[in-house]
Amino acid sequence: MAMPSTYTEQELVRALKDRNDQAFSFLYDHYAGALYSIIRQIVSDNAGLANDVLQEVFINVWRKIGSYDQTKGRLFTWMLNIARNAAIDMLRSKGYQNAQKNQEFPDTVYKGASGQTVQPNVDHIGLRKVLEKLKPEHRVLVDLAYFKGYTHEEIAQITSIPLGTVKTRIRNALIQLREHLQ
Amino acid sequence: MNIKDYIASGIVESYVMGLATEAERSEFEQLCTRYPELVAERRQFEESLESHATRHAEAPPDEVRAKIFAALAGMKPEALSSDSPNRAASASMENRNFRGSLAWLRTVAAAAVILLVVMVVLYIRQSRQNADLANENSRLKETVDTNQRLIEKIRQETAVVSNPNSIVVNMTGTKIAPQSRANVYWDSTSSSVYLVVKNMPRLPSDRQYQLWALIDKGQKDLGVFDGTDSAGANVILKMNDTKRAQAFAITIEKKGGSPHPTLDSLQSVGKTELTQ
Repeated sequence: MAMPSTYTEQELVRALKDRNDQAFSFLYDHYAGALYSIIRQIVSDNAGLANDVLQEVFINVWRKIGSYDQTKGRLFTWMLNIARNAAIDMLRSKGYQNAQKNQEFPDTVYKGASGQTVQPNVDHIGLRKVLEKLKPEHRVLVDLAYFKGYTHEEIAQITSIPLGTVKTRIRNALIQLREHLQ
Repeated sequence: MNIKDYIASGIVESYVMGLATEAERSEFEQLCTRYPELVAERRQFEESLESHATRHAEAPPDEVRAKIFAALAGMKPEALSSDSPNRAASASMENRNFRGSLAWLRTVAAAAVILLVVMVVLYIRQSRQNADLANENSRLKETVDTNQRLIEKIRQETAVVSNPNSIVVNMTGTKIAPQSRANVYWDSTSSSVYLVVKNMPRLPSDRQYQLWALIDKGQKDLGVFDGTDSAGANVILKMNDTKRAQAFAITIEKKGGSPHPTLDSLQSVGKTELTQ
């Protein structure tokens, strides 16, 4: 059997659900970089942590591919969310052991709303770079929601912004983010 | 619902990026089945997000790839090889449904545990039942053996009693024991002697009746027996054999019998036809 050099998404999903090894190699070779990038943006400059998360992501993709439902979104979207969740979980579990301590939230994060630096010491790559183009009050909320994994309610508490406003601002921020992607 | 407003609300981006709540997600998925334009909008955003991510991809270190595939190989019975297509192809044939076989294994393991428990319970119950049945069986066997012996005895006795060769000797009571009644059935061809006790009063515990055959002025011991209170009980006793007898006599002797009869305790006597 010749190894296909490329797949349609349909074929790839079918092959993955069949646990085809070539399909899995193909998946890694085509998507690992994009996923690694988003993981790095979440766990910041901790490359060792990002490697562990990427490994966990691909093992989870392998395990959970059977439950992936194509009608709910593209394969990449599904993997991207697995990667994002895994990175946030890792960050939180490590965060509790290490840097978290008593500090609930760095002031700089939400004081960014008044124009300060949103997140120091972060590589401005990928989506984060796009985020830079947003207004600071939007940028902060997307950072907390998307890159830190806080719920809208938690963000409302942390930033003392009403829940409804948090929700509206995040929605608006995402629409702007989308415009900047194209 | 105005689907344009819905799309413009930012729900598409929120859904795709995993920021929608559970309620928002299920509403979105529901609406996707009704509004193709919503699906198209979602796909468009997904594709632009994907292409942006691909453009900004950052290659992970090579050793991560090796680690991941080694980890996956550890999850499977055979190594997942990325550098040897043929081996990988054959491995893929065998390991195609790894997740399925894992689930299958779990199911089999669970079933095996349940089966084991059921078998142990059944075994214990069966063992108890077997023990009960074995006891019951040996009781029944004893009863059957007893009955068998009884039937055999009765059959022999009946054979003697109904045997045309048998001589029936009516033993009548003597003066000192007028109420004593017994019959001797004597088969002179087989020498068998049976005593049917009709009425021989119960004796003190150190005394027994003894049956004698009287032969040419001599006496032959035919065995001892106990008396019975119940008149008409017709107890049939097998006594010692004798080839000859002119008469039979019953005396009271000490328990176990005497070598010679105590004639003054003679209870009953009956003459055989041979002497007549």
